[in-house]
Parts: sequence; structure tokens; C-alpha cells
Amino acid sequence: MSVQVYIPTPFRRATDNKDRVALDAPDVKSLLDELEQHYGGLKGLVRNERGEVHDHVNIYVNNEGIEALQGLGTELKDGDEVAIIPALAGGGGPR
Amino acid sequence: MALTASELIQVTAQAEAEYPAECCGVLLVRSGTSGERLLVPCRNIQDELHASDPAKHPRDSRTAYFIDPKDLLAIGRREAQGYAVSVIYHSHIEAGAYFSPTDRKNALIDGEPTYPDAVYVVLSVVGKQVVDTRAFGWDPGARDFVSRSVAAS
Repeated sequence: MSVQVYIPTPFRRATDNKDRVALDAPDVKSLLDELEQHYGGLKGLVRNERGEVHDHVNIYVNNEGIEALQGLGTELKDGDEVAIIPALAGGGGPR
Repeated sequence: MALTASELIQVTAQAEAEYPAECCGVLLVRSGTSGERLLVPCRNIQDELHASDPAKHPRDSRTAYFIDPKDLLAIGRREAQGYAVSVIYHSHIEAGAYFSPTDRKNALIDGEPTYPDAVYVVLSVVGKQVVDTRAFGWDPGARDFVSRSVAAS
């Protein structure tokens, strides 16, 4: 079973500039564990020390955000595509 | 490279049309000789975040932007086709075109710039009119965002 993981530009410094990685994992949590094991630099970029996905990071399985699925427990099947996308946000306010 | 005159007109029109909400979007540029440019206006979902969890998201769209993750996913797919994020733009409402502390904080991941090669364009919208536009980019030496030219070279 193989899942394709899309790595966006901001995280490629941690994946030897690879934009796609193929991994075997039964669910999203296991996939992130595998990813962090292969690419230690991703540790802390995607999840905090408690293993929770950072607020500014969105994870999609195919085209659906995992918060609308089963979160980190979302099951994966052969051919699924997972994308890890950091938020783009900001705004005015105190100088 | 930031925005061409035509792109700046489009971004200005978007900022004025979406007033009093902050507007947002990106410019993608294809690597290689074609240099194809794709302006991608995005949806600011800050009001939805604020409505669903005001404690976690105390600001609304008058003082903040948060690009719809669906737009980010589409941008990611373009990146996979050879495009790179060249410009990230947004507006400030009734405030200057400066790179705010929030802008700076959100442009860094783990202390490193999320898009080190991108230019951040900020438009000041006062009374529904864009009155100033400025650009900022990451300076590795200064390890900070510094002023850049808005106009494309």
C-alpha cells in the first residue's frame, strides 16, 4: 500500500527538496510518524511536542481537510494523496 | 520581482472591492524561460474563524486575513506544476501599508521564513480607496523583512 505525500515549498528544506514522498501508513498519524522518522527536520514543523498538528498547518487527504474527516485517525488507502499545507495569514494591527 | 502595473491594478481593485475586509492572494510565477505569471485572488476566511471560535481568533476580517485552505491546496497543486509563490499580498483597513508584527510572526515557521524568496505586498485601504502600497522581503543577512520594490523589475 502506498500513499503519496505532497510536501509544499516551505517544508522541502526538511525533505532534501523532495516535493513528493511515497509512504506506507494505515492512517494520518502513522504517516506523520513515518515522515518524521525519515526526515527528522520535519519534527516540530508539522506537529507540536504533544503530537498535535500546529494550528497553522492544514492536512488534506485527497481534497478533504482531516478536521472534516477523523483527524489524525483518518484511515488511508492505497493511492490516497496527502498534502501538508502551512497557513498563509496575517493582518493589520499594532505597529 | 513583485507586481506588474496590470497586476497592481487588479490587486488594487480587489482590495477596494473587498473593503472593509482585508483582501488576500498570491502571484505564482512558473520557473524556466516562460516565466508565466498567474495572479490568484484568495478568499479571506477570517470572519468564519472568528465566528466559530472568537477566543482563538479574536480578530475579524477588518484586521486580519487567513487564506482559505482550499485556495492553499490549489496553490500547492500549481507548485507541483512548476509554479512558485512569488508574491503574497493582503490589505490593511484604515491602517498603513506596513509589515505588521502579526504579518511577520505568520511569515515565519520555527524562526525561518515560510517563503524566503517571496515578496509580501501590503496595501493600505482608507475609506475604500487604496492610498499606499508597499512591499517587503526576507533579508537573510538582517534576518528580518525589509523594504522591497512593489514594481516588477
